[in-house]
This record gives sequence, structure tokens and C-alpha cells, in this order.
Amino acid sequence: MKERLNSKAPRKLLFLFEILSLSLIFLFSWEGIQTETYAIAVGLVLLIYFSNYMLGRISKGDNYVFLIVCMLVSIGIIMIYRISPDLGLKQLMWLALGIAMFFAAYFAIRYISFWDRLTPLYLVVSYGLFALTLIMGTRTHGAINWISIGGVSVQPAEITKIVLVFLLAAFYGGDEKYRRIKNAEILLMLVIYSFIGLLFLQRDLGAALIFFGIFSGLQYIYTQDRRLIWANLGLAAIGGIAGYILFDHVKVRVTTWLDPWPYINDKGYQITQSLFAISEGGFFGTGLGRGNPAFIPLSYNDFIFSAISEEMGIFTGIGIIMLFMLLVYRGFKIALRQDNQFFRILALGISMVFGIQSFIIIGGVLKVIPLTGLTLPFVSYGGSSVVTSFIALGILQGTSEKRGKAGIGNG
Amino acid sequence: MFDLLSIVLKYVFVFIIYLFIFTIIRMIYLDIRSVDYGNLESGAYLKLLNRIDSLPYNLSDSYPVEGELTLGRQKENIIQIKDPYISKKHFRIIKDEEEFFLEDLGSSNGTYLNGERVLDVVRIGKGDIIKVGELEFIFIDGA
Repeated sequence: MKERLNSKAPRKLLFLFEILSLSLIFLFSWEGIQTETYAIAVGLVLLIYFSNYMLGRISKGDNYVFLIVCMLVSIGIIMIYRISPDLGLKQLMWLALGIAMFFAAYFAIRYISFWDRLTPLYLVVSYGLFALTLIMGTRTHGAINWISIGGVSVQPAEITKIVLVFLLAAFYGGDEKYRRIKNAEILLMLVIYSFIGLLFLQRDLGAALIFFGIFSGLQYIYTQDRRLIWANLGLAAIGGIAGYILFDHVKVRVTTWLDPWPYINDKGYQITQSLFAISEGGFFGTGLGRGNPAFIPLSYNDFIFSAISEEMGIFTGIGIIMLFMLLVYRGFKIALRQDNQFFRILALGISMVFGIQSFIIIGGVLKVIPLTGLTLPFVSYGGSSVVTSFIALGILQGTSEKRGKAGIGNG
Repeated sequence: MFDLLSIVLKYVFVFIIYLFIFTIIRMIYLDIRSVDYGNLESGAYLKLLNRIDSLPYNLSDSYPVEGELTLGRQKENIIQIKDPYISKKHFRIIKDEEEFFLEDLGSSNGTYLNGERVLDVVRIGKGDIIKVGELEFIFIDGA
């Protein structure tokens, strides 16, 4: 028996979730409550409610992706605020900027039509950002992947990630003149491998994995020469083994993945604390404010999944995984519906970024795969992560609208 | 006090998150939009919920409701379904002063609105599910 369908139900549920969790947070920090706490509460609810409303008014495209992401953001920001109120407040500001950038990216995709003809620009921007990182980079948590501009730290690899998707989309779905160059695909592979090599030098293993994942996925779907897929896989295997032998920081990740327990006091500390936290939480968690997420280093960032699992239970953790699966599913669906080849690859690439990134970090903190430092998109604390994830989402939203095939070669 | 509340609410949170996921999956499955689009998509229409390729007869994905929409086995109907289960004139949807009504035209096997058999005329609104035999339609009022 089917009951009548309420089409506004998800928005209401989101609203209810925010109200309840925020009131709990209020109670949690009752003594030290500041006006800022009210700011975060009112700000979060209004921001999310109005941007959902606005999006429904202006966009004819997909309307699930933003809703799903709003839920992820709400879970994340509440957890971050509970771990550290200061960071929570900062995250809210990043979120506001992120949503502004979401709309900016959406309009840029909607109204600008020559994205597929900018291949050289994408190359220049990517290499430029790498050069900038190597020159001005500072080392945090073992990786040189941050640059500081006017007091604000940004992670250029986050931006390069999106540029890479544009580059691949422009190559496979845009102007044909680049594909007609002799051995064009091999050249493209060399370019991508140079990116991955540079990331390796910066010790940013997580980003290197994402770059490899996006490239392999899109190559698998769109390449004309099937042998290149095998070449790519072979090179990756050789590169992985070589990296393990040559670099200590790769070796550490693998050792602590296989058996962290002998190193519980030093290099295995993070991962073991993460496992303790998840098991402490059980099915429903200890309850917000009743766990010890501060025991895990970087619990507000890379390890936010463990912190959420501790206080809100593995059921919420599974919920987060399901939300990501839905997001990626919607992204693929958008790609299937899009007739324009360039925008189709763009949508596919962006969904793959979300999928691969969340898989790598969630797998890492669960000790399913070797741990590599990455943020969980939309959930983790981090300015450049939140802003670039929202830019990527804005692009996905933009590609969800139908476009003509006019003026663009179909490969 | 806080501890108790926190313990109670943790179940509520899990419940809300799963309900949210479930609602979204259901809406994606039914393939309808979750937000009011104002005047962007005006007009009411019936959307077929069955997969078209699973049916032995020709049907299109959606039918606009303008004035009157009829369904039955006879050729005169707007939606013609050559299925012995469907009556010659099965049901019709009429628009009257911005409101929509579903009328069963004395069909032998009945028309079901949200699981209940329609006996005469009922008013229908956005999101209502109309079932005839194995066919299911969702009524969407875009205006």
C-alpha cells in the first residue's frame, strides 16, 4: 500500500535534525555559552534552508545532490563544533563561502560555454599550482602541500584536482585537435604521471591516489586504445612497489595498515585510536558530548569519520557512506542524462572525485586500506576542502542541466 | 540531565538520518523533484511508474492533464491500453477550477488511489498514486 508522497519531506527532516542536534550542543556547552554559539546555530539553519530554497528557484537541474550534501555538512559541522567550538565557527564561515562559491561555479558552468576549449590553460594552471606549492609550500603532518597566502592556508592540490577533471574532460570530450596529435593519449598519460610524481615528491599520497583514480576511471571509459589501460595498470603496480621500496613514508603507511599494534605508541597511534573510538561507539554511539573524540589526533579533520562513529554510532557512519553512495549515484545519473560529451565527462569526473576521496579516507580510518591523509569531502574541517568540494558540487549542478550538442565535437 | 538527553537523542539522530536517506531513495525511485519550481514547470501530468520496457504495450513516460484525460481499452481514450484487465472506459481525470478530480467510469476491476478503491469521484493532488491493474501512475501538479 502506498501512502501519499510528501515532496518536501527531506528538507523538513534536515531541518529537524539540525534543530535537535543544535539544541543538544547548546546544553552541552551550557556554562561557557557565548553569543557565537547562537550565531552558529542560526547561521547554519538559515544558510542551509535558504540555499536549498534558492536552488529550487533558479536551477532546473538535479536537486538531490545539494540536499544530500547539506545533510553531510550538517553532521560534520555539529561534530566539529562539539570537538572544538572555535573550529566549528570557522567551519561555518568556510561553509558560507563554500555555498557562495557553489552558486558562482553553477552560474559559471551555466552561462560560459567555452570550457571545453581551454585545454592549454588547464595544463598551465595545474603546473603553475604545483610550482607554487614546491616554492612556497610548508610542511604539515609530513606532507608539503600547503601554501600560505595572506595568512590563509590553502591546499593547491585540492584545486588542481578539479582542474584535472576539466583537463581530462576537455581532452576526451572537447576539441578534437588535441586528440589528433600523434600519440596524444600517451602524452596525456605522461602529463598525468608527472602530476602524480610531483604529488609523490610533496608526500601527498592521498591526492596522488585520487589523481590516479580519476585518470584510470576516465581512461577506462573513453580511451580509443585499450592497451593503454593495461599499460596504466602495469605502471601503477610498478610505481606502487617502487614507492614502497624507495620512500619511508609509504612503507610506514603499509606497515601500520598490516599490523599497527606493535607501534601503538608512535606511528600506529592514530589508526589504533581511530579503531578504539569506532569500537567504543558501538551501534548507536556514546551520544553527542559523551565520548572522547579528542583522543584521536586530527579527529576534526581526517579522522572525523571515527569521531562521528564514536559519538553517533556506526549506524550514522554507515549512513554517511550511504549518503556518499547516493551522491555518486546521482552524479552518474546526471552524466548519463547529459548529451554534451564534455559536460558528461565533467559530471562523471566530479562524481568520481567524491566517490574515490570518501572511499580512500573512510577505508583508511577503518584500516581497510592503507591510511593516506585526506579530508572527507563536506564533513571534515578545512577551508580549502570545503570550498573546493562545493565548487565541484556547483559544477555537478551546472552539468545536470540539459545542453545542446551545438559547437562541440562528439568523440 | 544532559547525559539522558544525549542518550535518547542518539537514537533519534540515527532514525532521522535513515529516514532522510530512505525518503531520498524513494523520491529518486519515483523520479520526482523535491522542490517546488514555481512557474518553471507549470501544468499537471500523470507519470508512469512502471518501467516502459517491462510492459507489452506502447505507452509513453508521462501524459499532460489538460482539461480531461481518459484511460481505457477503447481507441477514443487518450491513454489507450490493450489489456483485457482494463475496461473500455476505465477512468478519467477532469480539471475543474484549478482542482483535479479522478472519476472511475464503472470499471470492472477498479481504479485505486493510494491503495484505496475509487468508488465515485475523488479530488486528487500532487503526489497521489493511481493504480489500474498492474499499471501505476503518479499525479504531479507542477503549478
